[in-house]
Amino acid sequence: MSEFLLVGTWPSAPAELPLAVAAHAVIARAAWHAWLRRWGLLRSFGLPADPGGEPRACLVVRASGDEAARRLAAGWGRVSGYRVTVLPLFEGPQQ
Amino acid sequence: MTRQTEEALAAAFRDEWPRLIGATLRIVGDLQTAEDVAQETLLAALDRWPLLGVPDRPGAWLMTACRNRARNLVRDAGRAQQKSASLRPLLPLPVPAAPDAETPEIADDRLRLIAMCCHPVLPTDGQVALTLRMVAGLTTQEIARGFHLPPAAIAQRIVRAKRALKQHRVAFATDDPDVAGRLASIIDVIYLVFNEGYLPTAGDTLTRGDLAFEARRLACLLTELTGAEPGPWALRALVSFQLSRWSTRAGPDGELRTLDAQDRALWDRELIADGARALDRARAADRARREGDGDGRGARGPLLVQAELAACHATAPTFAATDWRGIVALYDELLEAQDTPVVALNRAVAVAMADGPAAGLALLNRLVEDPALRGSHRVWAVRADLHQRAGDSAAALADYDRALELVSNLAERRYLMTKKKGQDNAIRRAHRHR
Repeated sequence: MSEFLLVGTWPSAPAELPLAVAAHAVIARAAWHAWLRRWGLLRSFGLPADPGGEPRACLVVRASGDEAARRLAAGWGRVSGYRVTVLPLFEGPQQ
Repeated sequence: MTRQTEEALAAAFRDEWPRLIGATLRIVGDLQTAEDVAQETLLAALDRWPLLGVPDRPGAWLMTACRNRARNLVRDAGRAQQKSASLRPLLPLPVPAAPDAETPEIADDRLRLIAMCCHPVLPTDGQVALTLRMVAGLTTQEIARGFHLPPAAIAQRIVRAKRALKQHRVAFATDDPDVAGRLASIIDVIYLVFNEGYLPTAGDTLTRGDLAFEARRLACLLTELTGAEPGPWALRALVSFQLSRWSTRAGPDGELRTLDAQDRALWDRELIADGARALDRARAADRARREGDGDGRGARGPLLVQAELAACHATAPTFAATDWRGIVALYDELLEAQDTPVVALNRAVAVAMADGPAAGLALLNRLVEDPALRGSHRVWAVRADLHQRAGDSAAALADYDRALELVSNLAERRYLMTKKKGQDNAIRRAHRHR
């Protein structure tokens, strides 16, 4: 298994966020992260000290390869609305 | 996590929104910046909570984050000014107000915010839009959907309202909001929102729940904040009684169901109970106010009388058992305080129910001549119904036609079409039997 850094940024932050949508988003994202943890795929995460900055959150995830990491990134992007960039961190033995 | 958790979180966001705007406004002094900061705080919660877990006290987390961000903004602005002052010492620069937000009065902040949104320098449509955005936390899109208007139109109203407040130097922390003086217009704004939600003037649905229930939430908030004033309690009672019938006002296909056709077993008992409690508070507060004003014999406020009327309907066990004479007496009282054609129209309906359609028609025949009512479909629809009950199908048909020419709400139009069709059939049957 290899490790990848997923960096989430807003493509453009919404000017107004419906409050019901915000509540739904918190729950949906939390469920997705819980799923990631349950499968042992979430190694770590990072949040910027300044919440107003461009990167909103980073995840260190385990994946079997680039393709799998990209799929995780796509899933995170779908649930969070972030634009997700994938950076390889540590390459494990090929399976 | 369950749907219940999501709803609790949404409720926490809704409850917190005006507090965040108020607390931030106290620090930054500008409504637009306060809104931006509250919005950014919400987005920060969205980033952090799914990873760190939802805090035990989400409201406290949001408030702390919001205040910190607002203070940072003010500090950064101060530094920038110091920097530019050192570069250009000859230019006089305004000194930013010192942040004063260690222990603001939260309840007072929300009330100040409502009073600010209903400031007399703003037109009513601006007051409504600003209240829904700043106090209720609805987005421009949501407000636009509620009023069947383009989002750009609502955005423009909000921008203009903010600009007007700025131009008139309405400052949140120092402006004495004169809540008592503005209470009437605050109540008007909330009631307007309720009416637009409960019976929209246009559109293809009968009701727009978000707006109507939002209005009730605002009315409840107002009662919490103003305590001993009768108006907010009467408003809360009125909207609670009306909303108790919410689920029964339309059939499965969205068709209108009038009071006599509604299943009373489905009326919301909790809302009726809340309405009754609020009505008791309103009566007591109104009595105290009148006693304070003199001998206690003065007229009751029109909103309280309307709440009494709503209570008569909400608590009647059946349509037939409704106390129509009591309702006529309440309309007489309302007419004393609010002599409007609409009140007279509603009174005519009650008279027809108490004394028969002929008595109601005698009143309505005068009312249809009123210029304020002639252009409304309601007066023709009511008269058509009374003609129908009196057995005059031809006159009913003519009045249904007039009502159909004027109605703009599609659900009401469908209802009137069905009634008209019923009359058409009645006339054909009568011809066949001749």
